[in-house]
Amino acid sequence: MISRRDLMKWGAVVPALVGGSARAMAAVPEGLDALVVDSRHAPGVIANPGGVRVLRFDGDVTQLWFETLDPLWRKPGFVLGGITGRDALFVLETLSWDRGRRVVSRKDMPGRSGRMDGPISWVIAPVHPSVKKG
Amino acid sequence: MAVLPPDLDAANFARFLEELRGAVGADWVWSSEDDLGPYRDSFSPVWNQAEERHASAAVAPADVEQVQAIVRIAGRYKVPLFPISTGKNFGYGGPSPNVTGSVVLDLKRMNRVLEVDDKRHFALVEPGVSYFDLYRHIKDKGLKVMIDCPDPGWGSPIGNSLERGIGYTMPQFRDHFGASCGMEVVLPNGEVMRTGMGALPGSQSWQEYKYGFGPDPSGLFAQGNFGIVTKMGFRLMPLPEYYRTGLITVPRRRDFVKLVEHVNYLSDSSLIGEAVYGSPLAALMGDKAFYALATRQGGPSDAEMDAAASKAGLPSWQVDLQFFGPEAATRENWEYAKQRILADIPGAKAIDGDHFPLPATEEQLLNTTQPYKTGIRRYGALGVPSLGIWRIVSGNGHVGFFPVLPRSGEAVFEMQRAMCDGLREFPLAGRFFNATTAPLYWHSYAFQMVFAPSVKHDDPALNAEVHAAMKKAVAVAAEHGWGDYRAAPIYQDDVADTYSFNNHALRRFHEQLKDAIDPDGIVAPGRGGIWPRRFRK
Ligand SMILES: Cc1cc2nc3c(=O)[nH]c(=O)nc-3n(C[C@H](O)[C@H](O)[C@H](O)COP(=O)(O)OP(=O)(O)OC[C@H]3O[C@@H](n4cnc5c(N)ncnc54)[C@H](O)[C@@H]3O)c2cc1C
Repeated sequence: MISRRDLMKWGAVVPALVGGSARAMAAVPEGLDALVVDSRHAPGVIANPGGVRVLRFDGDVTQLWFETLDPLWRKPGFVLGGITGRDALFVLETLSWDRGRRVVSRKDMPGRSGRMDGPISWVIAPVHPSVKKG
Repeated sequence: MAVLPPDLDAANFARFLEELRGAVGADWVWSSEDDLGPYRDSFSPVWNQAEERHASAAVAPADVEQVQAIVRIAGRYKVPLFPISTGKNFGYGGPSPNVTGSVVLDLKRMNRVLEVDDKRHFALVEPGVSYFDLYRHIKDKGLKVMIDCPDPGWGSPIGNSLERGIGYTMPQFRDHFGASCGMEVVLPNGEVMRTGMGALPGSQSWQEYKYGFGPDPSGLFAQGNFGIVTKMGFRLMPLPEYYRTGLITVPRRRDFVKLVEHVNYLSDSSLIGEAVYGSPLAALMGDKAFYALATRQGGPSDAEMDAAASKAGLPSWQVDLQFFGPEAATRENWEYAKQRILADIPGAKAIDGDHFPLPATEEQLLNTTQPYKTGIRRYGALGVPSLGIWRIVSGNGHVGFFPVLPRSGEAVFEMQRAMCDGLREFPLAGRFFNATTAPLYWHSYAFQMVFAPSVKHDDPALNAEVHAAMKKAVAVAAEHGWGDYRAAPIYQDDVADTYSFNNHALRRFHEQLKDAIDPDGIVAPGRGGIWPRRFRK
């Protein structure tokens, strides 16, 4: 679990991701369609940043992926941001490759007492022509 | 890191890629370093080392005809192909090939569930169909069959079974290659072959009688390199009406011998699903004195282990039993198991577990209602694919060595001792092999133990230790007649080398076949330790 101070720091990152102004967003001009939040790292915060749909999970991405992401990732488009543990990102990134998507931005976030063992903020976007929009 | 296929220069490689693009479309051929990232083995203990195997390109065909075209092009340029189905073979090499410079033949686009029959209980699928896909298909159509899936559920019936992977339900289904029935294969010359009844035009029993007539070559395609499987059938379990669990504990170390005999009987009589063995004494391994006892050179005596158990107030062993079938049958089978074991082993105890009709609810799948600490992972046990197993993965993953041993208590004690002693120079091994290590009952008729040390990309010293320990583990096990059941490409030669009866007659036979069918090594040269003449020194 991370501290309140860390959560405040994220507070600054999420709008940057969502608002499309951060360097991270250069590769995804269409902006985010949803934001995945790993509840292990962010209990009860980041409600609906910038009006973007928030998808929560608790470390095991099975349900989220099976019910929501897999059907969406089979269609063109859909840019997904996330703030998750490394393990969850590994799983989602690996699954995203199968659907022509890549992690186009990845940023370590400070964890407890500033150590770099915190979550990662990232963006997964469609890159293959079969799923790129337009 | 750009690499070229063996014996091919850059200009010819460019021509080769152009031909591939002509066959499948430019969007489905990849050769940039960035695009090939997903085809590295992220669990590799030789990450960024010279021994790591890299693909030169990847190609994803849409259908069997495109697979044939790719094989023919590869044949002309003598480029090795490395076929993968879903490419999630983590712990055993991931999607990376045996030979650096191979082209990964990624079959993910061939992802049709061709048939699921819930009256005759089988499925026919393409390689890109994952366990999740098959499960979704069955669920959406309301079909009354249950799949047997490995962890994690993102793998594929075809890829997993071609590795002889395992699941967690009844014995005849959890051996995935054993449960396969009929395959279609693109051979190294580009021809399409079907095995079993699939060879008989008009046959309707391809997924019901795997042998057909004459020799059945299907075994050659599992852990082998004789062709590219483009369709495969699997036997499925009719959805059982009911599920029940129960736990048996036995007090003394030696009681394990009888316990195993009873459970073998129950399993071979098709009365139980996967039996999950454990030692409650494993909970004491955090205690230095107990750790020293359980890993002592030559092994502890039974009396010492029994004394530790009685001091801690713990039984020495336990087994989680699982029953599938009509409710009354599950009840009777559990009653029978209890009576049989409790009557024979003094001090044995039985605890009733959960029981409920299938399909299970979400809560039942989460396994929160079992009245005791259980080793069963419900999702797998009930054929529901999941990614939840990811919680056991630490660092950047692990490599797996799973030696096969006989289903007897004595063999378990012997492997505990011999592997613990043999790997003593590697402190990380004591956690895997000690006097509390229980066997895995994944395969239908054999036990295994697990050695799966974690690796870290940024810790080459740790990875080097893991790499050395893996090689030593293969050698120590072989000295005792135990062999690995499956291995990553970087260990396949070591493992194949241990199956050496009669001056490697088996390997020589495989090599003869390979030389006859695929002398240039177009399909996965080196896989299973089988090298065609071109690649043999
Ligand atoms: C935490 C964890 C838990 C695991 N638990 C299990 C488990 O319970 N059971 C288990 O069995 N494994 C397990 N594994 C190992 C592995 O993840 C699975 O076995 C997985 O199903 C294999 O990947 P795949 O199905 O994508 O096969 P692929 O990677 O597609 O194929 C495996 C290999 O088979 C060959 N192959 C594949 N397709 C073809 C084809 N069409 N034609 C010819 N050759 C082909 C290739 O050599 C390929 O490398 C686990 C791994 C991890 C990390």
